[in-house]
Order: sequence, then C-alpha cells, then structure tokens
Amino acid sequence: MESIMQSLISGIVVGSIYALIALGFVLIYKSTAVINFAQGELLMFGAYLCLTLVVAFKVPFWIAFFTTLIAAALLGFLLERLFLRPMIGEPAISIIMLTIGLASFLQGMIHMTWGSETMVYPAIFPIEPLKFGGIVVSQVYLYSVFFAVLCLVLFNLFFRFSSSGIAMRAVANDQQAAQSMGISIKKIFAIAWAIAAVVAAVGGILIGNINGVNTSLSGFGLKVFPAVILGGLDSIPGAILGGFIIGLLEALSGIYLDPIFEGGSKEVVPFVVLVVVLMIKPYGLFGTEEIEKI
Amino acid sequence: MAIKCGVFKTTYEGDEAIWQTKVSRFWIALLIVSLIAFPFIFESSRYLLYVANSVLIAVIAAIGLNILTGFTGQISLGHGAFMGVGAYASGYFMTQLGMPFIACVVAAGCVTAMVGMIFGIPSLRLKGLYLAIATLAAQVILEFVFVRWRDVTGGSQGMMVPPAKIGGLSFNGDFKFYFLALAFTLLAVLIAKNIVRTKPGRAFMAIRDRYISAEIIGVPLFQYKLISFGISSFYAGVAGSLWAHYIGIITPEHFNVMVSIQYLSMIIIGGLGSIYGSIMGAIFMTLLPEGLRLLSGLFSKQYPFLVNIFGAIRESIFGLVIILFLIFEPDGLAARWKTIKNYWKLWPFSY
Amino acid sequence: MKRFLLVVLSVFLLSGVGFAQQTIKIGGIFDITGGTGDVGTPYAEAARDYLNYVNKQGGVNGKKIELIDTDYSYKIPQAVSAYKDQVSKGVIAILGWGTGDTEAMAPMVATDKMPYISASYSEHLVFDKTPYNFIGGTTYSDQARLALQWIKDTWKDKSRAPRVALIYNDSGFGRSPIQDAEDFAKKIGVEIVDKEIVGLRDLDATTQLLNMQKKNPDFAINQHTIMATATILKDAKKLGLKNKFIGLNWTFSEKLIEMAGDASEGFMAPMPFAFWTETKVPGVQFMHKVRKEVTGKSDAQPVNYTQGFIGAYLLVEALKKAGNNLTGENIKKVLESNKFDMMGLSADIAYKPELRKPNLSAKMYVIKGGKIEALTSFLKY
Repeated sequence: MESIMQSLISGIVVGSIYALIALGFVLIYKSTAVINFAQGELLMFGAYLCLTLVVAFKVPFWIAFFTTLIAAALLGFLLERLFLRPMIGEPAISIIMLTIGLASFLQGMIHMTWGSETMVYPAIFPIEPLKFGGIVVSQVYLYSVFFAVLCLVLFNLFFRFSSSGIAMRAVANDQQAAQSMGISIKKIFAIAWAIAAVVAAVGGILIGNINGVNTSLSGFGLKVFPAVILGGLDSIPGAILGGFIIGLLEALSGIYLDPIFEGGSKEVVPFVVLVVVLMIKPYGLFGTEEIEKI
Repeated sequence: MAIKCGVFKTTYEGDEAIWQTKVSRFWIALLIVSLIAFPFIFESSRYLLYVANSVLIAVIAAIGLNILTGFTGQISLGHGAFMGVGAYASGYFMTQLGMPFIACVVAAGCVTAMVGMIFGIPSLRLKGLYLAIATLAAQVILEFVFVRWRDVTGGSQGMMVPPAKIGGLSFNGDFKFYFLALAFTLLAVLIAKNIVRTKPGRAFMAIRDRYISAEIIGVPLFQYKLISFGISSFYAGVAGSLWAHYIGIITPEHFNVMVSIQYLSMIIIGGLGSIYGSIMGAIFMTLLPEGLRLLSGLFSKQYPFLVNIFGAIRESIFGLVIILFLIFEPDGLAARWKTIKNYWKLWPFSY
Repeated sequence: MKRFLLVVLSVFLLSGVGFAQQTIKIGGIFDITGGTGDVGTPYAEAARDYLNYVNKQGGVNGKKIELIDTDYSYKIPQAVSAYKDQVSKGVIAILGWGTGDTEAMAPMVATDKMPYISASYSEHLVFDKTPYNFIGGTTYSDQARLALQWIKDTWKDKSRAPRVALIYNDSGFGRSPIQDAEDFAKKIGVEIVDKEIVGLRDLDATTQLLNMQKKNPDFAINQHTIMATATILKDAKKLGLKNKFIGLNWTFSEKLIEMAGDASEGFMAPMPFAFWTETKVPGVQFMHKVRKEVTGKSDAQPVNYTQGFIGAYLLVEALKKAGNNLTGENIKKVLESNKFDMMGLSADIAYKPELRKPNLSAKMYVIKGGKIEALTSFLKY
C-alpha cells in the first residue's frame, strides 16, 4: 500500500513540472492561437542560462533565477518581434511550421553556445528528501508543486481580471475584431511570448536541477503535449490539471501496466487515455468549444 | 515567332488533359527522359543515387500527406509511423508469407490504409489541432507496437528485408533501385493528380474550406475524411515499403516523430494543396541537410576549429531556412514557381 | 529544381577533386550534436587527435591519413547518406558510432566490404551475419556476463543464490544484453528476479524501483546512459534501497559522479576501458602524450575519449600491418589474424573470423569517495 502511495505522490510531483511546461503552451495558444513547438527550446535556454550564471559567474541562485527570468522574457520579446510579427494573419499551420523551424534554430544556437556536454547544477535545493510518514519526496519537487500552483492562481486571475489578460483572450478569439476595438495585437503577442518564455525557463531550471542539463532537454516539449490537449488548448486550469493527471497516469501505468507489458507503458498510456478522453470531450477537459458558423 | 493567344479545345478529352499545350507536353517528356537518363550519367556516384532514391520515396509519402493535410485540411503528425506500418508489413509479407514483391507493396499499402482509417476515426469528433494531437497519439502508439510486437517486427533489433524482386530481376543496389522507385513515383503522381481533380478531390477541398457548407450540399463528411486518411496512409505505406526493401534493415527508429515533422515541413514549404508542391517540398527538404553537410564539410577544411560546432550551425541554418521560407514564401514553393512561370509566359509584357 | 541539383553536383565534384592520391582516406560517422552527443564528442576528438598524431609521425607506411568525418546527430538516414558519401569519396574503412545506425548499415557494409569499427558494443555485430563489423570493446552481453560472474564469485552466502534485477532502456541498445544475461545467469546459478524499463529521459524512476524492491534483489545491473542512471541512483538512495548497483559501460563515467553526487557512492561497473586518471597504465600515459602533442592541452578527458582513441589506434595498427594492400578484404584479414596490444587501454584485442569479439574481459571499477577506482584487474568469465 505504501509503495503505491509513494508512486502516486511521485507521479503528482513529476506532474507539477509537466503542468508548468504545459502552461507555457497554453499561454501562447490562448493569446495567439498558435502551438509553439519551440517551447522545449525555451525551457532549455532557461536551464542553461541559470546554470551558467550560478557555476561560471558564481552568482547566488536566487539572483541567477530572477535574472534568467528577465532574460527569458527578453528572448520572448525578441522572438516575437523577429519571427512572429511578419506572420500575423497567416494561417495557423504556417505559424506552427515556423515554430518548428524556430525550434531547430534555437536548438542549434543553444548548442553552439553551450556545447553538447551534460552540465550539472550544484546542489541548490537541499538533497535530503522530506519524509511524510513512509513517503519520501525530494525537496526540488516541492518547489515545483509550489510554483505550479502559484502560476495557476496568478494566471487565472490575470486572464480573468486584468485588462491585458482580457485583451489577450480577445485577440485569440478574433484578431480583426480585437484590432477594431483598439487593442494592439503586437503588444499582446509580445507579452504572451515573454510570459511563456518565463514559465518555460522556470520549468527548465527545475528539470535541470533534477536531471542535469543537456540538449536533449527540449524533448520535454513534445512529451507534454498530451497534458496540454487533455486540459484543453486554451484553458489555464486545464493545462495545470492536465500536467498533474499525466504525471499520475504515468505513475499508475508504472504500477499496474509495467509488470504486464514488461515496462515502457509510461510513454504510451497518456496518449491512449488522451484519445479516449478526446472522443468524449473533443475540446479537452476544459477547453472552450468552438462554435462554428457559416 | 507567333505565340498563340489562347488555348482552344474541341474535345472533352482535350479539355481535361493535364498538360494541355504541345509545349508543356514537350517539356514533360524531356523531364521524364532526363529522369531516366540520370542514373546512367551518375552511375559512379552511389551517393547521388542514394539521394535521388531518397527524394523519390519522399515524394510518394509527401503526396500522401498533402492529400490528407493540404487537400482535406486534416493535420496529421503520424505520417512517419504509417510509413513504418507499410515498411514492416511489406517486410513481413515477403519474409514470412513469401509473397511476390508487387503483392507485398500493394498489400502493405492496404494494411496501412486500414490502420490509417482506424486512426482517422477521431476525425469524426475532433477538429484542427486536437485532431493533430490525436494523430500524434497514433505515432506514439504505433511506435510502441513496433518495439513491442517482437514476433512480427523484430522489436528494437529490427527486421531484415530482402531487396525488391520482380520476375527474376532483383533490385538491389542504388542503381537498379532507382528505376523501380521512379516507376512507382511517376505512377503515384499521376494517380494523385487524377484523384484531386475529380470528385474525391473536390469533396476533400470542400471539407477543408468550409465543412459545414460541404455537409449541407451533400458531401458525406465522415466517409470522405476516412477515405482521405485511407488514401494518404496507402501512399505512406507504399513509400515505407519501398524504403524497407531499399535499405534492407528497418528499426523503429526510422519512423519516429521527427520523420512525421519532416514530412509536414515538406508539404508546408512545398505548398499545401498542390501535388506539384509536394514534389518540390520533398526535393527541397531532402536536399537541404545534404547541402548543408556538403557546405560544412567544405568549410571545416578551411576552419578546422569549427568542426565541433558545425553540427550546431547546420541545425540553426536548417531552422533558419524554414523560418525564412515561411516568412517570405508562406504559400510555398509551388506558388512561387507559378508566379515565375506566369511572369515568363507574359514576358516582356507585365500583365 | 534541376538547376539547384546542378549546382549541388558541381560543388560536390569540385570538392572531391583536388586531393593528392597519397593519402589514406578514413571515414568517420560521429554524433556530436545529437542525443548521445555528450559522449560522442570526446570519442570523435580522440579519433581526430590520434590520427593527427600519426600524421605528424609521418603517417602509415609513408602515407598520410585523411579523416572524412560527419556529425550525423544520431539520425539514421543521415548516417546512411554520410556512409554513401564517404564511400563515394574513396574511404577504405570507417569509424562509426551508434547501435541503431551501425546495425542498420551492417548489410551495406558487408556488400561493400568496408571494415567498420563502431562504438556500439552490441553482440549482434560479432557474428557471421555482419562480417565487416568490428566492435571497439567488450560486448554488452559479455559485460553483463562478467558482472554476473563477479557477483557469483564474490557471493558469500552459501544458503541461496544471489538475486539480480536487470534495469534497462527500451531500445536496441538497451535490450541488447538482456537475453544473454538471463541465459548466462541460469547457467552459473544466479537468479534473475526482475526486469525493469526506465526511459532515457525519465525524471523519476520511483515506480520501477519500487516494483523491483518487491522482488528483493541483492544486485541490480543497469544497461543505460549516464543521465538515466543518475536518476535511478538518486531515486534509489531516496527510497533507501538496499541492493547494490552495477552498470555497464555507458552508465559509468566521471560525469555520473557529478550528476548523482553521493548517490553514486558504491556504484560499480565492468569497464572495458581505462580512465584518464589511471596514470600507471602505459596506454593512458600514451594518450596524455598524444593529446599534449597534438593540441597542446592537458585537459582531463572522460572515458569516452579512451574509447575513441582505442578505435583509431586499432585501425592504424591494422593499416600498418596491411602494408600496401589496403583493400577491405585484406584489412579484415589483418584484423582477424593478429593480436593487438592495447597497452592497457583495454584488454588486448584479437578478433576471430567467426566471432569478432575483441576480447572477453574488463576490469571492475567502483566509485569510492567520489572517485573512480579499479577494484580488480582484467576479469574473465
């Protein structure tokens, strides 16, 4: 019984990291109706930058952390200005393809700057895991759960009540109508990308702490897709919840299905569940249903 | 020289021909002749033949994906896995059931078409990006099957596939295989062109443009979506099968999500909804990494200290080329080609 | 489009021309920027360093060596096209890398009679089916056998057999030694109690480790890469697991200590290759010398550098012995009929025509006090 609890708790805390990454996807989609295939690379950027600041420049972690966030925001602004701005008005699939190209480009650039060696974070978070009854949890994960929940609350409020947030939702819904209401599309896009980059950076730093940093980190981008879709492409609570659910599913399949399939079911099960859920709820658990008109 | 000021047809067949003027028919004939002559000229360079063969196979698969995504508007991220289904099926049919080659390819195509249609069922309920992710699920699930169903696929060890054989002629080696691939590709292009300009093609495009209206005027949506998945997967299966018989040994790594993304890039850069675009996109995306590798090989002789980061530079340039293409040529290569053609048609007049 | 092809073609032709005939062309298919780039880069560096060194000494039998290498980013189609390209350019042997592509190209390599030395130590590459593949180190299966033999030999409890679990990754590389390990264990009386799969990029191996713990193993043998191994070790420490961990060669390097910290204490591996810090070994001293002479640097290199060095050194020794007959068949014959003294970098290498295993031994290393130490000399099974 205890080992099941342990697995489940592990699943949830891993899920919190997925939740953070999923959030980045949803943020961009919610404001620009674009799926950003380069989210994984933004994640890597945050991980690498923070690591370099801490190790090479001996900056204390929290200062490095916030500096990285600011740098990530700037990167988001830059990318939007250079690459996304010319694409306003183009069909979604072209923009998605652009982000795929962007992913390659960023991957190459990061590689050039930091090389291909796996780099390791010095112990930022205390190594000693916390024990709750019989359950053990690394402290890193506690921080990630905390961040995930914090982001959930913050962004939900942001999109619901702040004028920028409402403006972003308007732009995602109908660019032309939003423009005719006086909303500056360019500004909105820039903000969206900056925030997404920041959230990705946080996720990257956390993953870097757990697993070390190297160029394969960008694979997390794709891994998180089921979480994004499960929750609904344009729902913030959906993304966070989706992340946790995927983490749980992985843990459950680890406990129950791995012994049958001789392992490896963790990768597949989230996708299978995803398809089943989508057949019942075609827009994800919390996504807004598109009402089509002729 | 007197230039005709219009194209006049007196028969229905004449009107429906794909290549309508004597001039365009001449150029097409020349193209086909040079395609056939190509390997004889470059017989010594196995590398060039290999690239050419890769392009031909890519064209078939790209056309398949374009039918689904470009003409019917269903974004699919599972094309790589479907190629894998065709490859493994064809290998299995040949090694375990001893079927002759042509039968293997056709059967593999049919099997892939069925698998494609099964994974197309979600299209009944899902639209746009949600459907895309469902196809990504197909990709992941099929990859899992490739690795696990060891009795059939050989798992991660891979499956050895004997070369193609028709009658007594075995198509092993890059030179011989080229002609087989060329034949299949020409056939594939012709069939696809005829699909898209007749009733199924029009139904597909109607679904893509305004599916509610399409339904209202009587296009059975689900049926045609499934047909589109089926045809697209058939093409993918044939392409995968050809690849298997060419390379000789296939592992699940040959059919991963990066392959799917690559094919998606091909048709977007080439031009969605255009057979010609699929061809150009396939050629472009296959040649681009080769070209970059060539360049980096040349440069690394001059600047050896850059060797370690050349891979990274190549990747950046690859991404950058795609980005620039999309910014400056969002309708794809086919559209640009059309513009150039039209310019020359009317030269020296501008309209 | 045709014009583009023409341009590519002419550039290609121009680049191929213009090289003197008095060079020996060797191909290199390396992973620098791909998924295994972090271990592939030192491998490639070592090959380049050694070949540069040989050229500085006058080359092989008077001819300089030209390395035509490519970074294929662990993408199999790119490996295949690099191969064809290098064959077109006239290479006589190739230094390769990954399991997926090496196994995929084995039929081609055999038809072309191209000696292919790879960094994949899969046992599928040593038999008659792949006559031109030569692996640079003890096979994964043999490493597993050595580990199991060592477990049996050092097991003190007479009342029962030692219990071993196998943790691996779901790929050709990961699955390669599993069946052989199970068969061998049965033969020598070691009980395999569990098999677990951990993905290359898993953040968490808790469920697998807990499943494993239920079967109560004494040892767990790990066929994986460094990143996943670090995760496994850290999670094992977190859960307070009692069993000892033994990894195969790709799990074990200085990097692991960095990544797993204290959790790597006590981790063992039957490593076929010597480490940069083993300065008493003549081969290691030679490596230091080569590196210094060619690059002027004395930076410490990870064990993957040793692997690349071994591959290049072996090839050069074979070429020296092949004299003026540099056909594929002759190089193969030379490799199969000689014993190559590797100066302690690995056990001596002697391939046999029907069974191209370089050697059957490795040293057991352990991580103690944050450093890598050799626990034994070359083991046999």
